[in-house]
Order: sequence, then structure tokens, then C-alpha cells
Amino acid sequence: MLFNSIEYLIFLPIVFVLYWLFKSSYKNQNVLLLIASYVFYGWWDYRFLSLIIFSSFLDYYVGQKIEAAQIKKNKQRWLLVSLCSNLGLLGVFKYYNFFADSFASTMSSIGWQVNDLTLNIILPVGISFYTFQTLSYSIDIYREKIKSCNDIVAFFTFVSLFPQLVAGPIERASNLIPQIESKRSLNINLLKTGIFQIFIGLFRKVAIADNLGVYVDSAYANYDIHNGTTLLVATVFYAFQIYFDFSGYSDIAIGSAKLFGFNFNRNFNFPYFSRTLTEFWRRWHMSLSFWLRDYLYISLGGNRKGIVITYRNLMLTMLLGGLWHGSSWNFVIWGGIHGLFLSIEKYTFSALKIKTFNGFGYIYTFIVVLIAWVFFRAVDFDTAWSIISKWFTLDFGSLFIGDSNAFVNASLLMLLGLLIDLRIFRSNTPLEEYGSKFNIVRLSFIVSVIIIMLCLFYSTAENFIYFQF
Amino acid sequence: MDSKTINKLLKIILITLVISYAIDKLVFLGLNTMSDKVMTGQAIGKLNQFLTIKDSTDFLVFGNSRANHHFDMDLFNTKGYNMGVDGTGIAYTSTLVSTLKKDKPQLILIHIDTKNFFDKSYDGSDIRGLKTKFNRDENITKALNKSNQISAIQNFYYSMNYNGNAISILKNYFKPSYDYRSYNGYNPIIINESQKPMRDALLLKDNSVGCEEDFEINPIALEYLKSIKTYIENSENKTFIFVTSPIYDDSCSKDNNLFKGIMKDLNLNYSDYTNLFKEIGNDKSYWKDKTHLSDIGAKQFSKFLQKELKTQM
Repeated sequence: MLFNSIEYLIFLPIVFVLYWLFKSSYKNQNVLLLIASYVFYGWWDYRFLSLIIFSSFLDYYVGQKIEAAQIKKNKQRWLLVSLCSNLGLLGVFKYYNFFADSFASTMSSIGWQVNDLTLNIILPVGISFYTFQTLSYSIDIYREKIKSCNDIVAFFTFVSLFPQLVAGPIERASNLIPQIESKRSLNINLLKTGIFQIFIGLFRKVAIADNLGVYVDSAYANYDIHNGTTLLVATVFYAFQIYFDFSGYSDIAIGSAKLFGFNFNRNFNFPYFSRTLTEFWRRWHMSLSFWLRDYLYISLGGNRKGIVITYRNLMLTMLLGGLWHGSSWNFVIWGGIHGLFLSIEKYTFSALKIKTFNGFGYIYTFIVVLIAWVFFRAVDFDTAWSIISKWFTLDFGSLFIGDSNAFVNASLLMLLGLLIDLRIFRSNTPLEEYGSKFNIVRLSFIVSVIIIMLCLFYSTAENFIYFQF
Repeated sequence: MDSKTINKLLKIILITLVISYAIDKLVFLGLNTMSDKVMTGQAIGKLNQFLTIKDSTDFLVFGNSRANHHFDMDLFNTKGYNMGVDGTGIAYTSTLVSTLKKDKPQLILIHIDTKNFFDKSYDGSDIRGLKTKFNRDENITKALNKSNQISAIQNFYYSMNYNGNAISILKNYFKPSYDYRSYNGYNPIIINESQKPMRDALLLKDNSVGCEEDFEINPIALEYLKSIKTYIENSENKTFIFVTSPIYDDSCSKDNNLFKGIMKDLNLNYSDYTNLFKEIGNDKSYWKDKTHLSDIGAKQFSKFLQKELKTQM
């Protein structure tokens, strides 16, 4: 079920009303949330519910075993079960064809012909997100940061809670399970901030991102005939399309969760207002970048084992972070570009003894992010390289506009989105709390304006970009 | 959730409904007033001009972008209007035809994109291009209601009728794109020097998808075609001609032949010029891309067609 669908418009109020009818028992509310979450997921393909149930059951059981184990070796053994099973599922469903294909290509390049090993595997929506969520649970118990959950319904709800099930934010057990295992309440503050964030998210996704996507899709589909100017504008549009698409999704997720009394962690904090790439990663898809930092970078040794190991860890984290997004070398290169520039930044800061760049840093950061987006968006390496080559060989000419009406709409909406961001950014109030600034009439007025803007500018896209990951 | 929060929530819902309803009607009325005066631009102006002159014109062309860019009305020696609109299909055309006065003698040329008739994904949603006239034009409203392409929300929020068009209306209201009194609906594609390399690359690009084993006509498209046939049967004073314009390099003729058979069965006057330039001589300057003629190509095609149609005009 998509957040921007009529189905969700009906689903959310029904679940909301039923949920608060059960307010006397949070356990009954959890049962309802679990059923609702499975309906939400099953709407896409009910067969893959078995994967979530399997993953939930496995980590529920393993979590208790890790905690109960008396010696470290046994704890490690159970943790290994969780790691192998979760990563195994991810490996089969997400990466099998990628590695099989890469293996066949490598073999063929040295003269060995390998039969086609690829399989017709459907990627289950959200598998990367809920796998990371369950993994962090087992690792946190192993690290003795949290206790195992003894309420099976609460744990299953933690894994599948519908607002964050298919595209995050990747919630930590330490934040979410205590909320699931206690009585929730909905106060006026949570209500106002939730409603505000849902509508801002809808505007970002349906009006801004989807309109930008029309031009981006057309330019990237015919990259070979377009000049550098058109591809540059398309890539700038893509930078904002993916930002407004994914942050919009996160806003609807966080806002929806608030209506049920849950506080999710922030996932975006105006990433394009960053002066360094390091800062960018503290603001972009925060639940993933902090996950990678805590469970991968630190597990590899972080910056505690000397300068060379630190750079290796940084690079490895970003390369794997890239691969997390999808089974394609383009994502690995995307991660590699970020890893490389993060390493250069780290070196520069330590050599010059500075903590950040001046105003020029905003431009530098955006350019690096923009070049990396080309690999993220292009269908393969050749396409991405061809686009970047056009820029570096100065193949610039007149801009291809296409449908001028659609182009103007997309440009103006992007500008409006940026102005709204700038206003919220400068107010020093996080978007997650911005709705509390308004009284009821003002909030209703803002929501009304957004509704009319949606009526006038909605564009229909099949999906959210991050659903494919 | 305590009763205080429930009250606040109900207040928010109620106030939002009232305010959004009021803003919606203000925006809708404002856009209605402006759009009625807009006579330029492809989204609204062209439709408004068509609705104004449709029953005082002798010759009308309908269809998608290929109709819009391929029929040079000045070459047809008669008072005509090209109502081809980019991105539209047979649902849009059929609805516009239904708005014509039945007893007025007219020559109606309907451009057919054969490929669209065998497109399994075609759902008739191009009719939404007429949503600005929903509840404002009887025939169009009837067709939109029948098509199921209008959402239930649209009956509450009328401004959805102007989805995607608001800025274009404002722009054309304050600064018309051209003098509509001398506009006959034909939009030539002029290829300048800087666009030639892009055109050449497009013509070289191999985007043929091959011939399908079993072509099946799209039932929705066929339904709209049949509704045009019904209209034809009830308007004896009009002459209808269905035409497919040239394509640079059509790799599959199976669908064309099938479509010819369907038109024959329906007893509709149809001519397929898909391979015209292959037969009489092709030139790169005739094209913008593989499916769209440049102004030069459109002139050649229109001259040829004019001769062919002479007997009927």
C-alpha cells in the first residue's frame, strides 16, 4: 500500500479509530497494529509476509538465546545465527543475481564460459529495511545495550510497524520496543506535529518529487541524444527529486506514527544545507547512516586502530552502504565516491586543523553529491560515464525543455520546496516539531492550502524511489 | 487519547474541511474566469478556441501530437482548424467529436496512431485532458463520467480539474503566447541548426521493439472508435476520414494490416500512410524524430494528402 494512495487514505483513519478505541489496553493495540501492518504489507504481495514472519520469529528467538547464554562464545554463536540468516535472506533475494551475473562475466573475461546462473527472483519490498532493523536488535542484545523482548506480539510489531515497514526510518529496538511495550498517548502537540508532517510529506512527494521526475525520466532515458546542459539540469532535478521523494516518505511515516503515539527518529535534516560531506551524511537518511556507523564502521574498528585502518573502514562502510541500496556496481561506485571524498575531507581537516569549510563548502558538497547521483540514477556504468563525460568535455548547448508546462511546474515547485526548507531550517525548529508552533486554526489553514496545492499540482508516480531498495 | 485531544482533532478536521472547501471554490472560480478568457497555449487555449469555432469551420483535424504537427492547415484550401493535442488518444478525440453539431456539413480528419490501438496499457486516461470542462460542458461531462477517469475527490475539490494547468493558465492569461485570431491549430516543428545533431542521433537510434506474435486491439480504444462510428451514422452531412501519417522507419506492418481490417469491418474510410516517404522518397529534413515530422516534412505530407482528398473537399 502506498502512502499517496486512496487505499491509505481509507486505511489510516480506520486503523486510527480502532486503535484509540482499544486505548485501555496497549497489548490489544499492539495486536491491532500487527494485523494492520500485515494488511498494509500484504496489499503489495501477501506471499512475502512469510519472510517477515520468519525474520521476526528468528530474531525473537535468537535474541532470547543471546541474552540467556552464559559464556561469550555461545552469545557469539547465536549472534552468528542471526547475522547469517538475515544476511542470507538479503543475499538470496537481493544480491544473488548480481553476484551470479558478476561471476559469469568474470569467468567469461578469462575465457571460461559459465551457463546463465541468474534466477527469476522478486525483490520483496522493504527487505533491506526490516533486515537491518532486526539485525540491530540482535547486535544490541549481544552488546548488552538492551534486554531481549519477551512479548512476541510486541516484537513482531516492532519489526513490521506499518509506517516504517517498507522504507524506514530504520528504527532501533532501543527506541521503539520500549514505546511498544508501554501505554501510548496522543496529546495535542503530537497530533499537530503529526498532521503537519504528513501533509508536508505528501506535498514533497506528490507535488514536488513526482513533477521533477517527469523531466528526469525523459532526459535519462535518452541520455545519448541530450547535451551536457540538459543532463546537468536533469541531474540537479534528480538531486531534489530523490530528496523530496524520500524525505517526503519519511515525513508521512513519522507523522503517521505520531498519530498512534509513537516517536520515530528523525531521518532527514535539510541535507543540502551542508558545508561538508561529513555533515551531509549526518543529515541524509540519518537512520541508515547512523546504523552503518554503529554496526559496521565501529564494528570494523572505527578510528581506533590507526590512520590507515580508519580510511579503510570509512571506504568499506560507504562501499557496503552503496551496495545496500541495490545490487548494481553503480551503487557501489556511488558509495565509493562518497567514501573517497569523506576520506579526503578527514585528511584535510586533520592536516589543516579545521572542523569545517566556509561558505564555499555548500557548493563543494553539492557538486560531489551531484556527480555521485549520476551513478545512482543511471541504469548502468556506461550511461553514467557517458553523462559525466559530456560535462567534462564541455558538451554544453541549448537546454532541452520538452513539455514547457511540465518543466515550469517542476522548477517552480522545486523552488517553493527549497524556500519552505530554508524557512524551517532558519527557524532552528526541527520539521518534526514545527507543527506545534501553530494554533488549530492556523494549522488547519496551512493543511488546507497544501490540499489545494496537491489538487493543482499532484503528479502520479508508480512508486517511491526507495521502495526498490 | 483523551477527550480534549479528540475535540481538537475533530476541530482540525472540521476547520480544514471548511477552509479547504472555501479556498477550493475560490481557486476554481478564479481559474474558471481566467481560463475562459485564455485562447492561447496547448493545454487550455487551444481547447477554448476549438469550442468557440468548431461549428463554424469546414474542416477539422483531430488526434495526438502527430496530428498537431503533421497537418499544415494552410495547404488544404479551406477554412480549417487542427485540434491535434500532444499526449492525447482516441478517448479525447472521440469526446471532442461528440461535441460537434450533427447537421453542420464538415470534413473531419481523424489521425490514427496504429500502435496506440494495440497498446495493452491504454486505459483511456487521455480523456482527463478535458477535465477543465467537467461540469461545464454537457457532452464532455457525460463522457468523463462514463469513462470513470474522474476521482470521487474531484466532486468535492473542483480545483483538481485544473491539475497541472494552473501556471499555464496564469501565464497565458497575462501574456498570451500568440495571436489566436490568426491561429489555425497547426504547430509546425522547426528544426534549427543546433537541434540537427540531436535529430540525426534520434533517427539513427534503434528503438524497434519487434513484431509481437499476437496483436490484440485494445478494447477501450475500440469502444471509443465504435462511438465515433455511431456518431458518423447519425450525422449524414459530415465526411469522416481516418488517416495514419508517416513514420520514419516502421519495423512492423502486422499491426497496420490488422488495423486496416478492423476499419474495413467497421466500414470506416481509412488510409494508412505509414510508409509514404519510404515510397515517394525520404529525407532527414522531413523529420524531428522517428515519429514526428518537421515543418518541411509536414508540408510535403499535407500537400500529398491535399491532392488525395481533393475529391472529398
